[in-house]
Amino acid sequence: MIVAERKPFDEIRNMVSNYKKVLTVGCGTCVAVCLAGGSKEVETLNAELNLAFKKDGIEFGAETLERQCDMEFLAELDNKVDQYDCLLSMACGAGIQFLAERFPNKPVLPAVNTSFIGVNLDVGWYEEKCRACGQCVLAMTGGVCPVTMCAKSLFNGPCGGTNKTSCEIHTDQPCAWFKIYERLSGQGRLAQIMTVSPPNDWSNQKPRKVIQPGYEERIKAMHS
Amino acid sequence: MTTDKCTNVTEKCADTKENCDNMVDISISKDVLVIGAGSFGLEAAGKIAAQGYSVSVIGVKTACARQSGCTSKMLETGKVNIMQDVAIDSLAGVTGDFRATLIKNAGNGAEYSEKVEKVFGAIVVAPQYSYSTLNKKYGLTLNDKVVSQSQFEAMIADPESQKKILNGVNGNGSTVAFLTGFAQEGDPTSTSRVLTSALAVQNMENCNAYIYAGNVKVGAKGLERLFTQGRHAGVVCFKPSQMPTIEQNLNDGVNTVKITIKDPVVRTDVELTPDYVVVEEAVVVGQQNLDIASTLRIDTDLYGFLPSNNVHRFPAKSNRDGIFVVNNSLDAANAALKLKELIGNGIKRVAANKAKVDEDRCVICLTCYRSCPHGAIFWQNGAAAISPAACQGCGICASECPMDAIQLGDFTDDSLRTSIKDAVVSAKDNQKDGQPLIVAFCCKNSALEACEAATKFGHEMPQGFRMVKVPCAGKVDVEFIMKAFVEGADGVMVAACHEGNCKAERGNIYAKWRVNEIQKRLEKMGLEKNRLIFTTIASNMAKEFAGKVNAFAAAIK
Repeated sequence: MIVAERKPFDEIRNMVSNYKKVLTVGCGTCVAVCLAGGSKEVETLNAELNLAFKKDGIEFGAETLERQCDMEFLAELDNKVDQYDCLLSMACGAGIQFLAERFPNKPVLPAVNTSFIGVNLDVGWYEEKCRACGQCVLAMTGGVCPVTMCAKSLFNGPCGGTNKTSCEIHTDQPCAWFKIYERLSGQGRLAQIMTVSPPNDWSNQKPRKVIQPGYEERIKAMHS
Repeated sequence: MTTDKCTNVTEKCADTKENCDNMVDISISKDVLVIGAGSFGLEAAGKIAAQGYSVSVIGVKTACARQSGCTSKMLETGKVNIMQDVAIDSLAGVTGDFRATLIKNAGNGAEYSEKVEKVFGAIVVAPQYSYSTLNKKYGLTLNDKVVSQSQFEAMIADPESQKKILNGVNGNGSTVAFLTGFAQEGDPTSTSRVLTSALAVQNMENCNAYIYAGNVKVGAKGLERLFTQGRHAGVVCFKPSQMPTIEQNLNDGVNTVKITIKDPVVRTDVELTPDYVVVEEAVVVGQQNLDIASTLRIDTDLYGFLPSNNVHRFPAKSNRDGIFVVNNSLDAANAALKLKELIGNGIKRVAANKAKVDEDRCVICLTCYRSCPHGAIFWQNGAAAISPAACQGCGICASECPMDAIQLGDFTDDSLRTSIKDAVVSAKDNQKDGQPLIVAFCCKNSALEACEAATKFGHEMPQGFRMVKVPCAGKVDVEFIMKAFVEGADGVMVAACHEGNCKAERGNIYAKWRVNEIQKRLEKMGLEKNRLIFTTIASNMAKEFAGKVNAFAAAIK
């Protein structure tokens, strides 16, 4: 899932202070799962803002959508946004931008910082696992992502900085390639570590689009 | 089993146990929305109101609306509410329970606009198209003598201009030439307009009408009579094989047009220098109508007109149940007729299990909502829901669902898997040596009948050929095609309706897309690409069906 964290309250307060009616929009998918922007967080944030702006008379509305990354769900707000002069989104960066596209005449402000694609370690505890590099190498690295975990994102490692199981940047940071070594040797396929992997095409880090196989013609037909 | 998911289910039916399991009563709102207050919109509104339903008409009332003649009568019934400054902003819901957001003061640049949500059982769209004059295609410049069909209609409706035509240049009438059907394909409406105007001219004292017609369409009620009436009155019609030679002289204060055609019988040129030239017009769809179509999620035809063409559909119906499109008087009557069938007394009994969503599996990815050609799917309480009233049972949604969360009542995935396996097993038993084992997925609207007829008529097909019946080619999942190969088929054929002839609008196209994609993958799996084919067929093409199967068998032998 996409993991996000709520922005510091002061930052949010400064952003909304110039508006009279603010609609806080939560998202019911990833950010709800990681306890940053679901229905509960919308209510909590609004309560805090109501207290902070008690004297200024700013009104805060609340809506939580199924997802902010699908236009059909954003359309559920069509009849509501008119009464607000600003939207405060608690979705990930993708959702915030799509909300802003849906309502281009309204200022759309982010209430969360989008952190990473990661996993749930325990309630409220998450760890980054994927950088969406677009060229997955997990087959040859024993299911450990060097792009995410290695400070240098090396496809062929370890480097000279590997330091007794940890990375040279910090002793708390495990060395990704040590983990890979352990995993591969545990599976009896350590020889694989000697295979040289070609570098990733990092020029792919521009806004990317995906059309699933079999849907090219559909998209051409429906959007021409 | 009832579809409690659907908001407008009121009560379980009191039928026998078995029937009750499959049927459900649905409440249908008795309010009707008519979009477009032109003559046909108002005509439809009048007919619907006469059946006892309340009608709200939105849109600007046009001048020609008065001609429909039902405005005042309608208002007297108290059932028709015309709201001129209102437009439709968005639409949710399904047939029987459409929730429309109407916007007041729309598009007038007014600062104040108000939105209201209203529930309607059905919607009638009466598009108001505009015209563009095709004078350039005839090499003509418009002026007081060369006018468009609309301009001419306005002239004969206006007493002052009419007098001018009547007087002509020397006070003894005018000659009017109509040019139609050379600049475009033509349609019955434009033919009707020309014939009506020409007759009006001919009926004026000392005036003569000449029609130069290329491609004319006369397939509409009353056109033949109108044509004969004109001929009897003295209207002269030319139907040359090509566009006449037209010379417009605008030099030195002269303003004349000379029209020349070659008479193929007497082999001479026939020249005319009319006082007025009336040029045909093309109908322009306009962004407004396209916006309405996209708001209502109804398809347009190849040229953008509403609705899309579908031979399986009753006239005036759109691809969405409960949404009608009215383009003429006949449509207005048809829409009123079908609307009564739909709304009735407000309760409709429908099959409940045409398609059902497994709510536990559904992740509301919206794929079904986006794929459904009938706009029958919505979502509520965290899952997709299929309206039993709007669903046509084509199965496109079920095949597209990434979670296999949708099952058709008559064609569940399990039953289709069994059919595929049975088909292969029985083919193996009968297969002759050296003959391939072929599984054909046959759409029940076309290929199934063609296949059955081929068997009945005794057209020879390979012993190892077996058919699997599907509700629409759109229900042929990628998984089913693969399963046929895995079970042991040598070749798989997906037989759909011809393009443009699918009952479910695009089930055949979905099937074609899927086949194209699997063909690409087959080679990587080590099978020849030609072991899978997509073909289209009509139900009356028994011999052709057998031919296709035999050709396929020969190709993969």
